Amino acid sequence: MRSFVYYVREFLRPEWIRKFFFARTAPLETPSYFKGYPTRTEKECTGCFSCMMICPAPGAIAVLRKKDEWGPEVYPGHCIRCGLCVEACPEGVLSSGRILDVTDRDRTAFASWYHLEVDDNLCMRCGNCCVSCPVNRQIDPQLAGTGTSASDEVIMRIEGGRVRILHMEKCTGCTTCETQCPNRAIRVARMVEGVQLPEAEA
Amino acid sequence: MSILQKIKNTVRSRSIHVSYVDVGSCNGCDIEVLACLAPRYDIEQYGIYVHNNPREADVLLVIGSVTPQWVDKLRDIWDKIPEPKVAVAIGNCPISGCVYARRGTLTSPPVEKYIPIAAQVPGCPPRPTEILNAILSVAPLIFKDYEEKQP
Ligand code: SF4
Ligand code: SF4
Ligand code: SF4
Ligand code: SF4
Repeated sequence: MRSFVYYVREFLRPEWIRKFFFARTAPLETPSYFKGYPTRTEKECTGCFSCMMICPAPGAIAVLRKKDEWGPEVYPGHCIRCGLCVEACPEGVLSSGRILDVTDRDRTAFASWYHLEVDDNLCMRCGNCCVSCPVNRQIDPQLAGTGTSASDEVIMRIEGGRVRILHMEKCTGCTTCETQCPNRAIRVARMVEGVQLPEAEA
Repeated sequence: MSILQKIKNTVRSRSIHVSYVDVGSCNGCDIEVLACLAPRYDIEQYGIYVHNNPREADVLLVIGSVTPQWVDKLRDIWDKIPEPKVAVAIGNCPISGCVYARRGTLTSPPVEKYIPIAAQVPGCPPRPTEILNAILSVAPLIFKDYEEKQP
């Protein structure tokens, strides 16, 4: 009987009733280090498109020119908040969570280059790629219609009946060669690698 | 405002039944909806109950970028929900197709083409707090004084 009275009194306490019916967890704050949609810092954008090229989500980011100024624009509904554009931007134009702080502290960055590959089974040695490449034409204006060249400085040339790639690092990724190839034999790929920068001089 | 309407408003504000349908996503958003049920976020303290029965539902959470098999079925599910009802798009998929919005995939976003969407929660996936806030802010807009707002 005593325990019965005890329980009734316990459960009739206003505080107990209030807690039972109106308990709420504290409103959840989004911690500041969560990656949100990338926002602009006050740094100036150079319009290099690194952010756009690394973005894995279709239509998530566009670098637009507005009144003589380039600037990235992020579209929610497309952006997956991965933060790669923040890391890839060499100027630090975008910011999200603590990504910039971490890359600054660890001195990490992305290095990118273009990789050329010719599928010898598809290639018919027409030389279109070597002739159309704007970098090739600049280095060797004499570049023959067959794609052969006397210069060792060109990106690629026809040599011994096949395309030989000599200076892949000079490729600017314009993909002219890809579009001029009748057989889709040459492919240009943008390669990205995380790199550790040397320690800054203290 | 009639007494009956007042009672309905009170009841509806404390008892929102949610049904969710995945029309072709990676399951990331489903997991975040599930996380809303966990004690950390505890969706039921706000009077929101998650079912998987459209006939009991007030709110339909649509997840995913609409695969061909879902095109007609999604409309069926929407028609089964009794009035008043509201559909909320969860995640990027029903808004834009997200990473599936490329050549060669079979999806046909956005979900708005098939059923009326009242709110969108972008994110891949959206956070449980964002899902919660969306339901809590859109539900009163639709359900409060629903009968009186009818022409
Ligand atoms: S955060 Fe990721 S998905 Fe969003 S714009 Fe940047 S790179 Fe693209
Ligand atoms: S935001 Fe950064 S990465 Fe993107 S175009 Fe501008 S400078 Fe380049
Ligand atoms: S991508 Fe442009 S620069 Fe690079 S090899 Fe092809 S044509 Fe030349
Ligand atoms: S354009 Fe294409 S087919 Fe012609 S040489 Fe170059 S890779 Fe080969």
